[in-house]
Amino acid sequence: MNPYRVYGKGRIDHRAPVSFTFDGKTYEGRRGDTVASALLANGVHLMGRSFKYHRPRGPVSAGSEEPNALIGTKRGTGRYEPNTRATVQEIYPGLKTNSQNTYPSLKFDLGAVNDAAYMLFSAGFYYKTFMWPKSFWDKVYEPFIREAAGLGRSPTERDPDHYASRYHHTDVLVVGTGPAGIAAALSAARTGLRVTLVDENAEAGGTLLSEPQAVIDGAPAWDWLEAQLAELKALGVRVMTRTTAIGYYHQNMVALCEKLTDHLDAPDPDMPRERMWRVRAGQVILAQGALEKPLVFDGNDRPGVMLAGAAQTYLHRYGVLVGKRAVVATSHDSAWYASFDLHDEGCEIAAIVDTRADLRADLVEAAAARGIEMHLNHSVSGTDGRLRVKSIRINRMRDGKAAFGRRIFCDCVLMSGGWTPSLHLFSHTMGKLAWNDDLTAFLPDVKTEACQIAGAGRGLWGIEAALNDGFAMGAAAAEALGKSGATPTLGVTHDRTGTGVTQIELPTDRSPSSARAFVDYQNDVTAKDLRLAVREGMRSIEHVKRYTTNGMATDQGKMSNINGLNIAADALGKPQPQVGLTTFRPPYTPTTFGAFAGYHKGGHFEVTRKTPIDGWAEKNGAVYEPVSLWRRAWYFPQNGEDMDQAVARECRATRESLGIFDASTLGKIEVVGPDAVEFMNRMYTNPWTKLAPGRARYGLLLGDDGFIRDDGVIGRMSQDRFHVTTTTGGAARVLNMMEDYLQTEWGDLQVWLTSTTEQWATIALNGPNARKLLEPLTEGLDLSDEAFPHMSVAECTIAGLPARLFRISFTGELGFEVNVPARHGRALWETLMDAGAQYDICPYGTETMHVLRAEKGYIIVGQDTDGTVTPYDAGIGWAVGKAKPDFVGKRGLARPDLVAPGRKQLVGLLTEDHSKLEEGAQIVRDPKEAVPMTMVGHVTSSYDSVAMGRPIALALLAGGHDLMGEIVHIPMPDRIIAAKVTGTVFYDPDNTRLKL
Amino acid sequence: MTELALSPDFAPGLLAESAAARVTLIAPVARFSLRCKPASRATLARVLDLPLPETIGHRAHARSREALRLGPDEWVLTALEGDAAGIAADCAAAYDAAPHSLVELSDREVTFAIDGPGACDLLSLSLPRDLDGIGVGQGRRTVFDGQGVVLWRDEAHSFRMDVWRSFAPHVASLLATGCRELALEM
Amino acid sequence: MLLIHCPYCDETLPELEFAYAGQAHVVRAADPSSQTDEEWRDFLFIRDNVKGVHAERWQHVHGCGRFFNALRHTVSDKFLTTYKAGEPRPVLDDTERSA
Repeated sequence: MNPYRVYGKGRIDHRAPVSFTFDGKTYEGRRGDTVASALLANGVHLMGRSFKYHRPRGPVSAGSEEPNALIGTKRGTGRYEPNTRATVQEIYPGLKTNSQNTYPSLKFDLGAVNDAAYMLFSAGFYYKTFMWPKSFWDKVYEPFIREAAGLGRSPTERDPDHYASRYHHTDVLVVGTGPAGIAAALSAARTGLRVTLVDENAEAGGTLLSEPQAVIDGAPAWDWLEAQLAELKALGVRVMTRTTAIGYYHQNMVALCEKLTDHLDAPDPDMPRERMWRVRAGQVILAQGALEKPLVFDGNDRPGVMLAGAAQTYLHRYGVLVGKRAVVATSHDSAWYASFDLHDEGCEIAAIVDTRADLRADLVEAAAARGIEMHLNHSVSGTDGRLRVKSIRINRMRDGKAAFGRRIFCDCVLMSGGWTPSLHLFSHTMGKLAWNDDLTAFLPDVKTEACQIAGAGRGLWGIEAALNDGFAMGAAAAEALGKSGATPTLGVTHDRTGTGVTQIELPTDRSPSSARAFVDYQNDVTAKDLRLAVREGMRSIEHVKRYTTNGMATDQGKMSNINGLNIAADALGKPQPQVGLTTFRPPYTPTTFGAFAGYHKGGHFEVTRKTPIDGWAEKNGAVYEPVSLWRRAWYFPQNGEDMDQAVARECRATRESLGIFDASTLGKIEVVGPDAVEFMNRMYTNPWTKLAPGRARYGLLLGDDGFIRDDGVIGRMSQDRFHVTTTTGGAARVLNMMEDYLQTEWGDLQVWLTSTTEQWATIALNGPNARKLLEPLTEGLDLSDEAFPHMSVAECTIAGLPARLFRISFTGELGFEVNVPARHGRALWETLMDAGAQYDICPYGTETMHVLRAEKGYIIVGQDTDGTVTPYDAGIGWAVGKAKPDFVGKRGLARPDLVAPGRKQLVGLLTEDHSKLEEGAQIVRDPKEAVPMTMVGHVTSSYDSVAMGRPIALALLAGGHDLMGEIVHIPMPDRIIAAKVTGTVFYDPDNTRLKL
Repeated sequence: MTELALSPDFAPGLLAESAAARVTLIAPVARFSLRCKPASRATLARVLDLPLPETIGHRAHARSREALRLGPDEWVLTALEGDAAGIAADCAAAYDAAPHSLVELSDREVTFAIDGPGACDLLSLSLPRDLDGIGVGQGRRTVFDGQGVVLWRDEAHSFRMDVWRSFAPHVASLLATGCRELALEM
Repeated sequence: MLLIHCPYCDETLPELEFAYAGQAHVVRAADPSSQTDEEWRDFLFIRDNVKGVHAERWQHVHGCGRFFNALRHTVSDKFLTTYKAGEPRPVLDDTERSA
């Protein structure tokens, strides 16, 4: 039994009880209830504590704008969500909810001492309090703020749900399913356009759900609604409920967050919890309606004090009376209607208190007919009650001042300060607003997007006005898209148009300085705080907002912004438009990180590229490292080896006999065309004209600034065809750079570029036995040193597969790189492993590759260079074709700074004590220099070298090429390491091993 | 809902099937990138015995050869695997008269077939472009879940998507997720 | 997310198919070696910082692959027009300039 339920009223299913818990206690609601409506049906208003003062709070609204009734919801392990609005969360059997910001309990909370000390917590409290002494910043203040900050408790478990996303293209997107939105969707859809209609609520209908008395075109509102929804469906309109338009972005892209499972009893585990829609619309129609403003008076936050419109919604949508004895405090006609509805369902209306002296006669008569006491030209100066309002204090006003007050007992206060259009989405587009003095509201004015605003969202009150505006705006949108249709006009009876006046904080006969008249409920900002901010020098509304935190809570100031503006404008003595409104930003309502992440989590977080040989590496225990998006085998530990042991073994095996390495990730670009060689001459530093087909060359790519961008071995396959290789990470970047020059600078060239990175699987064989392994497997090619010397390339057949074979080496040993079509990569690898058993063939990973190349002084672009290194700095000036008239970077290399002395140059380092340096460590010349020392370079590569029997390192060192043999110093946390500057080639400087 | 793992060697076959859509890895074809200046187009079309469409996104086919125009000077050609050498020979013979670039890419990409009543919805999981802009019998290079793909629309609810080999597992997993997810809404 | 008209494909498509490529009409000299240090510095590094209409380059990287030029308003972010690489910067009328 629900003591506050009105049987037969509302959109809920009265025959379907649903049990859920709140703070451990079981409550019964009905199918279709929200947590708030179900608790209110049980007479529970107290649902949480406020952020700063820990004041008891209950729901003030019935929708997504709710600032107070924030709860935690739980559905099993990992499914805990803090700060959910109780007014939005639908109940289902077994739902567990809890109040927040309470210790030890909601009803008795220790944090409420803040409330008694409220004088200390005024505007700018943080700025004033946490200033001195400085020594308190990190030891005292920060821990205190961290403890106090944040609302709700973060979930600690991994979110087991998954989230989805979709793109959606539609001619017309209508936001809001109230009368304006439904009418707009109808008139647009009737012209044959693709129409999408969305609403954040569980059910379409908007205001119509709270105003069943209206009769539209001769039909009761709810019958009319049902018929229109059926027509929309028949017209193919996609109607999406529980779907919030959270942001309105450029060129009519609107982000929608659709909630799919939070209301279900037992969701299918495959069902995503939420889905982010990225909608692109030809026209957007904003029909979001208006939000009711609270009145600002002392004690307007006490549980039981809520918006009159919310009480009307609880009655008509949920069949709930929010109290047994209400006082209505208002400055707008709409609350009178709410009073009548509640009265007619059995709630005693103890009084209607209106700030206005003159009221419409029909309202006064209707109230009188019901025997309702009326207090016109009255103010409200306070409420009483600890956990629930018990009474309200009202004052007759004389000359705008509050006279002596009187108390009226009640169990709820229904307030209305009038209505303000919901401008959030329109503001996201940077659309300009115009102040309307009659409505005391900002209205949409200059549009920046292809959109229409319909209904209460542009200040049209009442169902008939909204409905007919909706039809007109739907037709306007259709017309903008080249369609025309009829614009119907419907009559509405029992419509509740009304007017009102706008109030700042209500006059009081008590000391205004002790009034707790809340403007922003969630951040506990009072009217007094706003006035204090202005007194303390804040002039811009943006400063007032940040100083007081008004409108900065999770509700984005839906209720507080306009009241805050009115009070600040009054304090500044300026009209509102001169003070301005703060900027609304997406998202419209709090949105989960899951919805933003969508599918990109866990294994799908980002692409993991794998080579055709990756499966073999995985089966054989490879440890991986990420290299750009690829995962590459790092090393292959055997028999419990650690990394150092495995790498040492792999290095030794390769130098002594034969190593095999998966080089498939190297970027590959096919450069083809009659002007291929000219293109290569212009792009790379090296000269290419004399490179004969069948020969290969190390290619060096600069930017036009003269700095090294990329490198790789390039084979000339035929007169007009080059096989270019790039670094793994540089593949896409290099291709784009080449395309850029080709398309925009050298359009005269007949040459084309094609990425072939993934066409080929590439296997490198290195070691003195490399030829012996390949020779018996190779057809159509003589592999002897005379016929196929170092830096050769040829097409041939290897192990029965079509191959491009390079004789090149990145290790200093006799080396080959076999390219075969990717699908054959794994088979070739396995063939080579089998055939190589006689040579103790050793698979090695990227770490061994790094060690072997460092022993030879071969650079890794991006490790030994950092975007400020020239070929000369790197000691590879030999790769620069100085005789060429131009190449990318040639002019750059002559820039003054690039030829100046003292540049950082690549050198080798050998530590005096044979310790291994840390990559990235800084180098100094004088170890005794006082801190801060003069840093002259840094270590770029450092490895234990098996071949050299000691650690080796490469470093960029200022003037390094002139410091050969000198000692430099590398300060570390515990000591300073001395190292001798050497050349970069540590192993086989005469390249005898390449020429086997 | 049927769901089968994409094998590391990209064996053709069904990957996912639900009431909404079916995703299949189809057998490899011979695939080439053909590039040339406008002056060479007619000659190449003649030697290939295959029209080379003038409009980006349009396709033409003759016998088992098909061409899709991807850019102002770019077509992707597909043919039966046994025809790869034939295409290379046809073009090579015309090289001097009609300079061009022909690069075989049969192994660079793998191809997913996506069909079923929810095929468009499935693609909309991560395809930012409006599918209504790609007519039946057309194709485009575009982007799916951040990866460049070539999308062929064969029927209203039947597509092929060429994906670079190393991106294919990522794309396949999303397509399978989508098949499952969309079926729940049918 | 913007919509961008590719002048080669003649389609208006989501920004995700495109990549920004810096300021337009920055010409690389035909003979860079004749450039003074100052001229080469300006070519490499000196760019406009326009509040208003900006000529910039985009590449239809996930489409036809072409680089092309665009006029875009840096305050509204809106594209006023796009045109093929090599074509002169279009002249806008006053209403377009203020868009």
